[in-house]
Amino acid sequence: MSDHVQKPIIFEEDHLPPATIGGSTLTFLILAGLACMATLIGFTDLGPAKVWVSLAVACVQGIVLTVFFMDLRHGDKLTWLTAVAALFWTFLLFLFTITDYLTRQFFAF
Amino acid sequence: MWLFLVTEVLFFGGVLCAYTAYRIWYPKEFEAGSTALNPLIATINTFLLLSSSFTITLAIRSAYKGEHAGLRLWLVATIVLGTVFLCFKAREYYGDYEEGLVPSQQKTLVDTVDESGKPILKEVSVFAVNLKHVLEEKEGKAKAISDKMTWNERERVQIFFMFYYSMTGLHVLHMIVGLGLLVWQLILAQMGFFRPTERYIYIEVMSLYWHFVDLVWIFLFPLLYMAGIHSVEHLHF
Amino acid sequence: MTPATHAPAITPSTQVLELDYTPQTAPPVTDLDGPPAVNYLNHAHGWLSWLLTVDHKRIGILYLIPLTVFFLCGGIAAGLVRLNLLTPTGAILELDQYNKAFTAHGTIMLFLFLIPVIPGILGNFFVPIMVGAKDMAFPKLNLLSWYVWFGGAMFFIAALLIGGLDTGWTFYPPYSSKYSHTNVLFAGLGVFITGFSSILTGLNIIATVHKMRAPGMTWGRLPLFVWAMYATSVIQILATPVLAMAVSLLATERIFGIGIFDPTIGGDPLLFQHLFWYYSHPAVYIMILPGMGVINEVITCFSRKNIFGYKAVAWSSVGIAVVGFLVWGHHMFLSGQGIYLGMVFSVLTMLVAVPSAVKVFNWVATLYKGQITYEAPMLFVIGFIVLFTIGGLTGLFLGILGSDIHLHDTYFVIAHFHFTMVGGMMFAWQAGLHFYWPKMTGKMYSDFWSRLAAVVMLVGFSLTFLPQFVSGYHGLPRRYPYYPAEFQLWQILSTAGATIQGIGYVMPVFYLTASLFFGRDAGANPWRATGLEWQIGSPPTPHNFDELPIVTHGPYEYALPSRYALETEPHHTTNGTNGHAVAGNGVTSGH
Ligand code: HEM
Ligand SMILES: [Cu+2]
Repeated sequence: MSDHVQKPIIFEEDHLPPATIGGSTLTFLILAGLACMATLIGFTDLGPAKVWVSLAVACVQGIVLTVFFMDLRHGDKLTWLTAVAALFWTFLLFLFTITDYLTRQFFAF
Repeated sequence: MWLFLVTEVLFFGGVLCAYTAYRIWYPKEFEAGSTALNPLIATINTFLLLSSSFTITLAIRSAYKGEHAGLRLWLVATIVLGTVFLCFKAREYYGDYEEGLVPSQQKTLVDTVDESGKPILKEVSVFAVNLKHVLEEKEGKAKAISDKMTWNERERVQIFFMFYYSMTGLHVLHMIVGLGLLVWQLILAQMGFFRPTERYIYIEVMSLYWHFVDLVWIFLFPLLYMAGIHSVEHLHF
Repeated sequence: MTPATHAPAITPSTQVLELDYTPQTAPPVTDLDGPPAVNYLNHAHGWLSWLLTVDHKRIGILYLIPLTVFFLCGGIAAGLVRLNLLTPTGAILELDQYNKAFTAHGTIMLFLFLIPVIPGILGNFFVPIMVGAKDMAFPKLNLLSWYVWFGGAMFFIAALLIGGLDTGWTFYPPYSSKYSHTNVLFAGLGVFITGFSSILTGLNIIATVHKMRAPGMTWGRLPLFVWAMYATSVIQILATPVLAMAVSLLATERIFGIGIFDPTIGGDPLLFQHLFWYYSHPAVYIMILPGMGVINEVITCFSRKNIFGYKAVAWSSVGIAVVGFLVWGHHMFLSGQGIYLGMVFSVLTMLVAVPSAVKVFNWVATLYKGQITYEAPMLFVIGFIVLFTIGGLTGLFLGILGSDIHLHDTYFVIAHFHFTMVGGMMFAWQAGLHFYWPKMTGKMYSDFWSRLAAVVMLVGFSLTFLPQFVSGYHGLPRRYPYYPAEFQLWQILSTAGATIQGIGYVMPVFYLTASLFFGRDAGANPWRATGLEWQIGSPPTPHNFDELPIVTHGPYEYALPSRYALETEPHHTTNGTNGHAVAGNGVTSGH
């Protein structure tokens, strides 16, 4: 027990209190509402637009989850950097691979 | 932890990228495959997982405030929600298994016609036959999708199911790891490890992982389950 | 922000660290009389004290030993391949044995040697010291990642011994998923596990660099080795998981006999190649970047000059880490990927050579007007610069879409990547090993033998791989055991070179081991270098620094007169008085 003062907890520095119960409840309600929306969309036939709409909802949900539940809004620089890096590099992976599938049938000659 | 989650994002990014590539190639097959899945269980599971994300933030709050009963309560609640999720998931896998929606190399013969309309016997995989049955039982638009498909296309739905099993399977593995972590935190809580309130940070860090598992599900839900056409009449467990 | 009453806010790590450094009465460890009486090697004894250690220095040594063994294994496989190629119809091996031999060589050397070698040994040992910390950010995680790595490596070796592997290091399906009768699954699992360890090490190093720097160790004062390790770790974290996913999907396909790369149900084997090269091109930078980092340290020391263009070198590491992810398609020009995408990749490949070139120019400029001395580490560095430049330039031949159609999958490619990986990374590793050996063990090795080894390696290497440029250019394809008789001369030259190289690599094993028993004490700073790691005793004490160092200068201040203080008045170190130079490069002691 006595050593816990000396040992720095360096994996996450957090100077701010965690979200209040009210705050968490609100976040949860928003997320649940969005989930309802996703389900509704799932049960209607929107044709090709469906995938875009449902992905948009999922993205909003994801952002709410990371920013509020995962407390990204109070994150330090390194946290933001990692979050952005993750998105950016996933984007790179998609960019080139999907480009291949979209352009493979074009010939240069 | 955030750094670790980056690797997780790219890990799932790899399979999502593969999914996207094939969905571009085979939109019809993906629609049919998704239609054959069980949307009811998936929807329930979505809400279960979201609630568990909620309860764990409450657990953090309790630890921060030094309310030990509350801490244990919310940890238990999170564990219960996660476990129920897994039970439903198991039920769903079992259902898929019963319906024969498992990709395999088993073949069978069916009556069909070739391009010129001549009746022929064709060797197709058992999976394709089962898929046809499942879709036809769902009637309405699902049956219409199936009717429009050729046997070759039905065969290719196996790719969708490979994605379905590997993505949900990996998600389940992550859930099991997460539940293990939660149980460990619960034991620590029982032993009074969280008495010094600043140790709430341990739960907070662990919760990041749990939220991430939730995040993955948020994307799997529309991509796997809601890519097809479902109607409310045919919901079942 | 006022901390809440219930939970005292966690203090920033630097402040907490200071609590650990209660004022010392012992003299600072910079005296040159010999090794510190208590050092990391002798402060605890017995097997367990090594296997359960969380000391980053001991973990570094734990990596050193198996890595040397793996290098030997990979070398033996290479020897078999080269011997077999002595005659046009295969001198010693059956066809499938040949496949297994070159696969064993490639996989061991890449996954079990080149990727972990510098991060595992020198990274572990020196990154914490260079940033002025007592240990890694997560010492226990560090040990865990050694165990994970060792377990995965054992798995991999077992897979190779029992049944072998014949897919080549690239594991392309559908061969690997359907037709190969060898241990693809186990080997894949081995790659997965060692990859996990590589991620954990990367995490640890990033956290260390961010959170454990000593006061005054600003980003602009980090040694360039640390910058390089940082960039490497970023790549490890971002790229490895995609390989893990590719291998998992491949394993699924192999287990169930059906999967997403299977063309018979509409799958696309090229997708595996995309995922694989998304990792594996950046992985070649995982291999070379730490080597480049070492070069900076050695070259400044032996030309006694500050690095030319610190910022350019530091940022080019980061640049490589980013741009390295944009070029993976140059391995797939002829695979059937979209032709327009191929063109884009070709252009981007030209781009990735820029940061590497920036580094080479900066090194050469650092040499310019320096007081160069040719100790063994410096000989390796000079070898590195020449060979790596050739390797990088031939990479451009391959990166150009048109010429790659001719050169793809020929010995030209083999020669290219051996120039970068052996001529580059292997030489950098030798440079680093010889540079830091006195620090790690406290002993000095034989000057003559080490210089001789450097020359032997250089000669052997050139003789092995220069002929392959020629035979490859004339169209000799790689990975075949047979070849047209007209190429025999080149093959024999290569094999002869490989033999000389082999002798070169064995030599350090002997003289370095001998130095442990017969070598003279190296003293704290045998090379009169200015880095933080040279200001502490050799071998370092268990906690590296007896007092919290406060850094006031950059890492390569060879121009400052104070560096000579080390030679002239080694004992006149002041203790405890803040702001007084302890020894050389403006590292002052504080508490
Ligand atoms: C300076 C920039 C570099 C460029 C432009 C470059 C370009 C290329 C290209 C275009 C290929 C594909 C050749 C083919 O298969 O037809 C290739 C292969 C390869 N390169 Fe490089 N390269 C560079 C640096 C490096 C470095 C630094 C390393 C390693 C440390 C490396 C390791 C490899 C390996 C291992 C292969 C062969 C992979 C295989 O097919 O087995 N390259 N390089
Ligand atoms: Cu490459």
